[in-house]
Amino acid sequence: MWLVLCSSSDPSGLWVYEGLRQLGVAPLELVLAEWLGYGSRWEHRLDGSGTHLKIVLPDGRVLCSSRIRGAINRLLAPSPGIAQRAAASDKEYAQAELQAFYLSWLNGLPGVVINRPTSVGLCGPWYHPSEWVYRASRAGLPAPVYRQNGHDAAELGYRSLAPEGAGTIKLITFGGEVFGGRVPDRIVGACVKLAHEAKTEMLGIELYAAENGEWTFANATPCPDLSAGGAPLLKRMAQSLTEGGQP
Amino acid sequence: MILVCGIPSETPLRMVTSRLEETGTPFVVFNQREFANCEIWLEVNHGEIGGELRIGERTYPLQEFVGVYPRMMDDRCLPELSDEPPDSSLRSYCRSFHDALTRWMEIAPARVINRCAPMASNSSKPYQSQLIREHGFLIPEILITTDPELVRAFRAKHGRVIYKSISAVRSIVQELNDEDEERLERIRWCPTQFQEYVEGTNVRVHTVGDEVFATAVRSEATDYRYSTRQSGEPAELREVVLSDELTAQCLRLSQSLGLEFAGIDLKVTPDDEVYCFEVNPCPGFSYYEANTGQPISAAVARRLAAGPAHATVCSDAAQVCV
Repeated sequence: MWLVLCSSSDPSGLWVYEGLRQLGVAPLELVLAEWLGYGSRWEHRLDGSGTHLKIVLPDGRVLCSSRIRGAINRLLAPSPGIAQRAAASDKEYAQAELQAFYLSWLNGLPGVVINRPTSVGLCGPWYHPSEWVYRASRAGLPAPVYRQNGHDAAELGYRSLAPEGAGTIKLITFGGEVFGGRVPDRIVGACVKLAHEAKTEMLGIELYAAENGEWTFANATPCPDLSAGGAPLLKRMAQSLTEGGQP
Repeated sequence: MILVCGIPSETPLRMVTSRLEETGTPFVVFNQREFANCEIWLEVNHGEIGGELRIGERTYPLQEFVGVYPRMMDDRCLPELSDEPPDSSLRSYCRSFHDALTRWMEIAPARVINRCAPMASNSSKPYQSQLIREHGFLIPEILITTDPELVRAFRAKHGRVIYKSISAVRSIVQELNDEDEERLERIRWCPTQFQEYVEGTNVRVHTVGDEVFATAVRSEATDYRYSTRQSGEPAELREVVLSDELTAQCLRLSQSLGLEFAGIDLKVTPDDEVYCFEVNPCPGFSYYEANTGQPISAAVARRLAAGPAHATVCSDAAQVCV
């Protein structure tokens, strides 16, 4: 079986589930983040020979690693239900425990997982814009000058760097190809390189049209709006899941 | 110039600054408790990183720092903030200053011991165990579950079982006993980690660049760091020499995790099998150095003084720092 792991408030995840189902990827299970909270029964084992996972969902469905062939992973964080039930003094600890647990079981999923988790993000790397700009420049993408000082609020850091009113395009790199729009080959190559060097199978990259007309890096995310990639992206994802290995 | 960040009186930090002083290596300390008298700005322009750090009266171009040793406490818990309301401007400056400093350290061309992203593999012990296993180490059998019956069966199979946090928070190892079994129903609320108990000798291996310091620890406690509390006796530490093969294996593990400095926890069984429990990316090495005389702080100081790595910035755990 293949899994689509996403939240009920993730229209892109739901769109992918519907699209893959229509393309005949079966059996395909939609697993909402909310269902993984309290009420699920978990069994996650590790030893010298491998990693095993068994989840019994509240509706009785059983997800077992021996039957899982791959997954679309769009989980941003553990379901908040469990941590919310913790005593105030334990909330932060409970959240850390759940984050650590999710990182482990997601990493242990067999088959093709788009994206595999990393230690800096459950569905791929969530780098700060300062690091994305640095990486984008190194990959050959034109990038704006990034500035930050000790007075800039930390929470405002994660944002698009596109100037207000600038025209933008949202591309998706997947398996060495770029979906979602037409840009010069040089930009396509740089986008693919950026994803490759970030070790991310799928990466959403937002570009803006600079004053000189050049497509310029604005933001990147391992959890992009997949509908921008349309049917071609869906077909590529289906192919990757069902044929296994690299697309 | 070397930048050392943290609380100057903290023992590991103090040991490293003493070694830098002894070798005449220029360094400056950013004392977190004096954040209010510091400023920072950074810039990424065409892949080049610039900026300035002001500490008290002096301002340093960020490009001047060839080595950074961040050993910072959670800035939200600094004593200077204890009487500050949640929305105070001092509190928010403290957070944003530390954020900017950390952002710079993640991408700085300096040798940073260690960057945050590679350190994050230790935020999930079973995730890190999967990475450790790829390097040929044995790992103990682990069960994480919400099902008390599975835990009882796991204990029946292994006899001795320990439990510990999955994350790096509140990480004290305890042995599962009959009393604990009576409250197992509580795990239905949150997946909990159990691990087979492995008999043998604990060995802490500190890797600093390509240098290795191994310390054997004799203790009756389940978690030797709390030996006196758990067994009534302090742990006994002595320097040991690892085989060439095990030395190379430890170095490969640290490098693959992107760690310039690491504390690897091994257990060598009576049959000479080597289990690896975890890799600590911010080791409190002073305990081992004080008990054995191993010159770990001197190695850290040497590594810092060696200057920037020539590889590109590696904040992926899997990327190798050279």
